[in-house]
Amino acid sequence: MSFYPQSPDHVPADRLIDFDFFEVPPGVTDPVEIWHGLVKRGAPPIFYTPRNGGHWVFLRYPDIAEAYRNYEIFSTHKAQIPPLEPYPVLQPNGVDPPQHDVFRKILAPMFTPLAVRRMTEGLQHRAEGLISGFAGKGGCDFVKDYAAKFPTGTFLELFGLPEERLSEFLRISDTFFRSTDPDVRAANLLEIFAVLEELFREKERNPGNDIASTVVQSRDAEGNPFPWEDIINCGFLLFVAGLDTVTNTMTYVWRYLATSPDARQKFRDRLDDPSAFLLAIEELMRINAVSNIYRRVTHDCEFKGVQFRRNDRVVLPNTVANRDQSMFKEPQTIDLDRKVNNHVTFGLGPHRCIGSHLAKREIMISLQEWLRQIPEFELDPNQDAESVFGGPVMGFTSLKLRW
Amino acid sequence: MRVIANMNLCQGHARCEDLCPEVFSTDAVEGKVVIEQPEFPPELEEKVRLAVRNCPEGALRIAKGAVE
Repeated sequence: MSFYPQSPDHVPADRLIDFDFFEVPPGVTDPVEIWHGLVKRGAPPIFYTPRNGGHWVFLRYPDIAEAYRNYEIFSTHKAQIPPLEPYPVLQPNGVDPPQHDVFRKILAPMFTPLAVRRMTEGLQHRAEGLISGFAGKGGCDFVKDYAAKFPTGTFLELFGLPEERLSEFLRISDTFFRSTDPDVRAANLLEIFAVLEELFREKERNPGNDIASTVVQSRDAEGNPFPWEDIINCGFLLFVAGLDTVTNTMTYVWRYLATSPDARQKFRDRLDDPSAFLLAIEELMRINAVSNIYRRVTHDCEFKGVQFRRNDRVVLPNTVANRDQSMFKEPQTIDLDRKVNNHVTFGLGPHRCIGSHLAKREIMISLQEWLRQIPEFELDPNQDAESVFGGPVMGFTSLKLRW
Repeated sequence: MRVIANMNLCQGHARCEDLCPEVFSTDAVEGKVVIEQPEFPPELEEKVRLAVRNCPEGALRIAKGAVE
């Protein structure tokens, strides 16, 4: 904290902290500690760090909630941290209302609670198949054997792609989410876009009953197709948003359950009561918020008494908002019967995670099926010490379980 | 008592539907709240209040009397 790289002159010294949210401090075994360490050491509720290109961090629930809703100041457009250009403009997430509404409306019917309930059988089938593959083996690496495969397989199904491509997609998504080598990343991005290009071209020729076909066949108000780039970037968004987030949330949930016999018992007791099961899942969504969300300030302004400049970046750490004691009674306690739980794990406002209902159902069905086949399990004492990572999505590259 | 929704605030979190499906559902197009039973019976009051308090957008509220 003694030396700061140069910071913009609108940032007062008392709001400056040397903080790198990609970096896991030595000895930290849970990446959320990257953030909660800050709160404990009394960081100002709105502060600036010069790391990663320089950005603000909000730590209070009300400020984070307001930033989510106030897209006129806090835009999702070109909000990458560190600033990265050119970067594809994700559709619809990378644009703000009213442009945002166009692709949001195309996607929305496929992700409503009703649409997601209709996916139940397919999700159950997938969960059952994956778990029965290792249930008799006495242990697994949860990340590799389940948490990566399940959402990726679901993605393939929703996009009308054959199951045989699972290993290819696991490979490209693993590189996309975990590689830090710029050359590898650049080649990987090209590969993803080539795959999406081929996929949408194929669905344009032979449409099916899947998300890719719906997106490619959609038309604007005048009946014209959307720009090809937007279609590809919509596919890219669903790839970026729906895989790693679910993988890491699941890993957090299983990591917790492996160490909590009471929680396992509570979930097993609720196997025949889906609404009580879902309520308990909601608390695990609050406590295991893996995403730290980016925004870009659209114009010079004052917000909560702090001066912001146009193009300043902001990080909204959901895990911090979700443990704000002004909003949550005993925020550090995991209470599977919590009555009021307005967590921001899926964001708020117009950009609220469109896949939230699918994500919750993926986790719920996975856990139900897991507990039926593997009612008791624990952490393997031999964990990979290097498995923890921070960044926009936090998590673990490995979680060894045994039973 | 009646429960009312501000559709400009609703973003389709569907927490209300999860907590009190007797009164709330969501539509098939945008996934936003549909109040099936605006004038709910007293036995559902506790569940409705819980749903209102759990709306992350603060889009729901309870109004006294039949019509405001």
